[in-house]
Amino acid sequence: MTTWHHDIARAALRCAGATCLALGLAGTATAQNVVKIGDLEAQTGPASVFGLMPSQGVRMAVNEINKDGGFDVAGKRYTLQLFSPDNQGNPQQALVQVKKMLEEEKVQYIFGPYLSNVFNAVAPYMQQYNGKVLLMGGATAMHWALGKPNMDFLIKTIPWDTGTSGYGSMMVDLLAKRGVKKVAILMQNDAGGKAVVDIYTPMFKERNIEVITEFFEPNTKDFTSVLAKLAAAKPDYLFPGYTDTALYDIVRQATEVGLTHFFIARGSIGPGMKNAAMIDSYLAYVPKYFEQAEKTQPKVAKFIGDYKTFYKTSFPYDQAPQCATSCYDHVFMLVDAMKKAGSVTDVPKVKAALLSMRHQGLWNIRYDATGEAIEDFDIVEIHRGGKADVTHIEPK
Amino acid sequence: MTQLILGQLINGVIVGTLYGIVAAGITLTFGITGIVNFALGAFMTLGAYMSWYLTDRVGLAFPAAIVLSVLATMAAGVVADEALFRHTRNNLINGLLVSIGLISVMQAGIAMTWTATPQEMHFVLPGVVQVGGVVVPKMKGLAALILLAVILCTYAALTRTWVGRAAFAYAQNPEAARLMGVRTRLLQSGAFVYSVGLAGLGGALYASLYSIDTGFGYTYVLKGIEAAILAGIGSVGGALVGGILLGMAEAIGSIFLPAAYKDAYGLVALVLILVLKPAGIFGGHK
Amino acid sequence: MRVLQLLAAALLLALPHMVRSDFVLTIFVFTFILGIAAVSFNLIFGFTGQLSMFHAAAFGISAYVTQIAMTHLAVPFWAGLGCAVLFVLVISTAIGSICFRYRLKEFYFAVVTLAFAEMARLVVLNWNSVTNGSLGIALIDKPKLWLPGFGEITLASTSTWYYVGLTALAFTLVVCHRVLNSWVGRCFGAIRLNDELASTLGINVFRYKLLAFAIGNAFAAVAGALYAWYIGYLEPDYLSIPQSLAFISMVLLGGSGSLVGPAVGALVLTSLPHLIQLSAEARLMTYGAILIFTILVLPKGIWGTAASLWKRLQGSGRVLASESQANSVEAQ
Repeated sequence: MTTWHHDIARAALRCAGATCLALGLAGTATAQNVVKIGDLEAQTGPASVFGLMPSQGVRMAVNEINKDGGFDVAGKRYTLQLFSPDNQGNPQQALVQVKKMLEEEKVQYIFGPYLSNVFNAVAPYMQQYNGKVLLMGGATAMHWALGKPNMDFLIKTIPWDTGTSGYGSMMVDLLAKRGVKKVAILMQNDAGGKAVVDIYTPMFKERNIEVITEFFEPNTKDFTSVLAKLAAAKPDYLFPGYTDTALYDIVRQATEVGLTHFFIARGSIGPGMKNAAMIDSYLAYVPKYFEQAEKTQPKVAKFIGDYKTFYKTSFPYDQAPQCATSCYDHVFMLVDAMKKAGSVTDVPKVKAALLSMRHQGLWNIRYDATGEAIEDFDIVEIHRGGKADVTHIEPK
Repeated sequence: MTQLILGQLINGVIVGTLYGIVAAGITLTFGITGIVNFALGAFMTLGAYMSWYLTDRVGLAFPAAIVLSVLATMAAGVVADEALFRHTRNNLINGLLVSIGLISVMQAGIAMTWTATPQEMHFVLPGVVQVGGVVVPKMKGLAALILLAVILCTYAALTRTWVGRAAFAYAQNPEAARLMGVRTRLLQSGAFVYSVGLAGLGGALYASLYSIDTGFGYTYVLKGIEAAILAGIGSVGGALVGGILLGMAEAIGSIFLPAAYKDAYGLVALVLILVLKPAGIFGGHK
Repeated sequence: MRVLQLLAAALLLALPHMVRSDFVLTIFVFTFILGIAAVSFNLIFGFTGQLSMFHAAAFGISAYVTQIAMTHLAVPFWAGLGCAVLFVLVISTAIGSICFRYRLKEFYFAVVTLAFAEMARLVVLNWNSVTNGSLGIALIDKPKLWLPGFGEITLASTSTWYYVGLTALAFTLVVCHRVLNSWVGRCFGAIRLNDELASTLGINVFRYKLLAFAIGNAFAAVAGALYAWYIGYLEPDYLSIPQSLAFISMVLLGGSGSLVGPAVGALVLTSLPHLIQLSAEARLMTYGAILIFTILVLPKGIWGTAASLWKRLQGSGRVLASESQANSVEAQ
């Protein structure tokens, strides 16, 4: 009789059922005296430029805190448990991961996201957890959500361009002091680029600097036509943006049409260094110029040393400024806030504590009333030949 | 305004030679092996990364780097041909899908070797040439001349040498060609690898002009296909002209129409040509 | 075979009650919804032989049209979905007419559908006032469904979505089964094998190719709206080429020769990233390798290969049975 393959099939079905049951049960184990934190960043893929360093910093901080035995809150000892899935910059994937963190793992503190499209995907879902969780991320889109109803769970971990402590206004002041009269802005024709134009144009106009604006399609490689148009108007500075991918090509091609002064509010100093032979001035905001900070700040030197030991690789100086957002310092600050609030589960209390503190780590961090960070930063100017002048700014 | 248009036309011609070399590769592959190799964009990316790596990281002289990059890309082409495309001769759908799968494999491999961060080569030939008020970067002009020369040599080889005529004969009538003693298997592999080499050369030169990332090849293979179809698949000389026409159309279009839809202009032209004159402007062989 | 089918159906129906993990159920919901798109793609590709690169465009356009209908016409989700399906049918007919009227074969058909899909994606990406461009749209309001006996239920929990997805997939399979086993289906098959020969046999090739294309895209539209509302987020990447390639991969991996094959492919491709944690690059390489592997080594796909193995086992089993009977007869 030919029943043996029926038996195999039945056994297979039984196995499948058992596996499902096992998977189902696995999610219910809990541990005592553990504070669960999540990390929501793009660790691989093209967007990893923004997410890898922050997630690496969080992992290092958790490791250090747990290695020292944990921390005490209200007389009880706690350790941290980190959930750090890789969303690869994909909002759909991030949403599935956030659901898992909040529904199954009952995480209450999540670091990230840096990417605005990921933020737009997870924020509406997270509103139902308002008052029970904290989302501490650096996404630009978060800025406009702060202070809105049902958005108390938001904390923006990277500072904003405008305002008296804003890096943008300080950089525009610098230009005005140099007697700059005309600035050409060249931005991506998407939400990010338009946001930058909207933020900076009023600041320039306030200081009587004329602004001409051109947009380009993201993924453009050849800027000759639009740069020729801008060069004809003879601006003093070119303000291109906002990703390094575009900056490399824009800076190079701009030097070929005679534009050699650059104002960078979003982007790294890489394009400036690479084209140093052809530029006259590359003025950039960087959260921290690590090459120099390593020599002058002991905490930075220690961080770099710890990074090399922990990850067994050389230190990525160009990526390191990303640690200004949802990274190493912010984990320690959160733990301190929990100690000050005397609770690990009372989220509104922890948030109130966060907003009332100053943290002195790699950066000096504090939050304003809406929950947006105010941090110290560097302004780097690269001259022809590669010499860099660094100015360190501490906001009041 | 005239200066702007003139400058844009020249730029369009230069960019068009890049499209043209990919188009030539597409057309050669289709004519001799019967498939469209979407992965030519990935081979172009490989050529670009090799050329950047050899020039910036290893420190070779740029001309040497170009030659080595092309050879390395062709070697990868030999491997791909032996392992994969040998089994999809004249099977258009399978060849297309396998080449699409190969794109993912190659892009991932490149990202794993050199990270996904965009890279930029240092200035190989800095400086510009002023042509009556229009600025042309020296390296761009040189790259265009090299590509033009290579495509014209290919065209000459196809029409004047024995190998070329064998290729034509095979494209017209495979059976007859085989009977006349043409080594068809060698011809097919050779055509495939040569096309890959063309794409690799385009990529190697591309790296000296723009920053490179793992995904730029995809845009170029699409434009290459558009140019090849526009001119008529089967015509290598036509592929060059098609590429240049496409480059110029995009450049002029961007001045007068919203730049957002720049890529769409080529697509619209493509649909129109396929609908009105499927054989292409120059009416191909197939 | 019947027994197995009933067992599988029973297992699927009972799964939400057996499994506690929301995560496993989520994978199944994705499988069902994406399975609808994969099965309908196979109608065009596997059964009618046309490689369309427009499927993801239909998938994404439908989600956007549903959203636009809901916000600008203030209609509930299901009415919006109806509008979207209608819209997709209209544009599919238009595009299909262009392609098939001019008798675009194979490769040219793929390129032209790709061109139209890219044009659609560019429009969605740049029409910021309507689609919010690259930032996407958050879909917060959950669809509501009125069922006799249950009253009005909101599609919010994973188990609710599970049953909605399962029902939608079952509906798709039934409709496709009916179509394929009818005269229409036989025309599809004839066109797939040799469309010139089919036309000499009197089959109106233009009409049937258009029918397959339209029906396939209509089901993709259903899948698109369900997918967007389940995730709760809508972005232009729904229309991208990689999404179309994902559907093609599901069909090839599962098997293009059967109706259920693509759904199996959808299950494998959906669960794979969650079973094996890979970096983005490694995952990309794996997908490419899977695509190449299925075309060159496993052309029938997983389900197809399993089905033919099954047939061979059954065949040999019957031979064994008759042999043993013969032996026992001889022994007597």
